[in-house]
Amino acid sequence: MAMPKVINIQSDLDIVAARMAARDMAKAMGFGAIDQARIATAISELSRNIYLYAGEGTVTVSEVQQGIRKGLEVVCDDQGPGIEDISLVMTDGYTTSKGMGMGMPGARRLMDDFEIISIVGEGTKITCRKWKR
Amino acid sequence: MAYHIPPNRGGRLDIINIPILKIEDFLIASIQVALYDMQAIQFKDAVLQKIYDSKAKGVIIDLTATDVLDSFVGRLISDIAAMARLMGTTVVITGLQPAVAITLVELGLELPGVTTALNLEKGIAKLRQITEKNADGNA
Repeated sequence: MAMPKVINIQSDLDIVAARMAARDMAKAMGFGAIDQARIATAISELSRNIYLYAGEGTVTVSEVQQGIRKGLEVVCDDQGPGIEDISLVMTDGYTTSKGMGMGMPGARRLMDDFEIISIVGEGTKITCRKWKR
Repeated sequence: MAYHIPPNRGGRLDIINIPILKIEDFLIASIQVALYDMQAIQFKDAVLQKIYDSKAKGVIIDLTATDVLDSFVGRLISDIAAMARLMGTTVVITGLQPAVAITLVELGLELPGVTTALNLEKGIAKLRQITEKNADGNA
C-alpha cells in the first residue's frame, strides 16, 4: 500500500498539487482514466473550498481497504469558519458567488462515499472515497 | 470578481505563456498544462485583449491536452465565451476528452451557451460556418 500523501493547501498552486497527488495515486492503484478524472476533479473542488473559505488546511490522500475492495480516500481538513447549513451547501446551484455552486454537490456525485463534519467556528472535515470496481 | 489573490510565494510563476495564434480571421489557443487559478484568469484576460487587438471573428480554445476541468476553469470558459460574444466574436471549445466530458456533466457543469467541436479541424469548420452565416445575415 502506498504511503498517504498530505498536501498543505495555502494557495491556488496547492489546489493543482493536491489533484495531481490524488491522480497519481489513483493511477498507481489501477483506477481507469474516467475515475482518475472524477477523483482529480472532486479534489480540485474540495481543496478550492479550503483555500477560498478557510484560507488554509490539509488534504490527505491514502489507500484504504475494506474486505476485498480497495479504495482511495481523501480527507480534507480545515480550521476555517465551518458550515452553518450543510444541506444548503450540498444543494446544486447554491453559491456564495465565488463559483458556480457545483463544488460540494458535484464532488459528492463524483465520489462514492462522502461525509462532512463541520462545527461553526472550529472547522470542517470532509472524508470521501472512491472504490475500485 | 470576488476572488482573493494569494500572497506571492518564492519562485512562483504567475505569468504563463499560452500562445494565442492567429490564422486568417481566427485565433487558436491550446491549453497544454494544468492552470492555476490566477493563470486561468490571466488567460481569460489575454484572450479577450487579443480578440480586441486582432479583430478576430472567431476563437478556438483547444482542450485536447486538458485532463481535469473543474468548476472554476469551467466557469472561466463559459465567461470567456460570453464575454467574446459581447465583443461580437464566437468561441468554440475543441478536443474535450471523454473523461473530462463525463466529469463535467456529473459535476453539473454542462457549459450552456458554449459552442464545442470534437477536434480542432471540426472546430475551424464550425467557426467558418458560424462566421459566414453571421456575415450573410449582416449583408
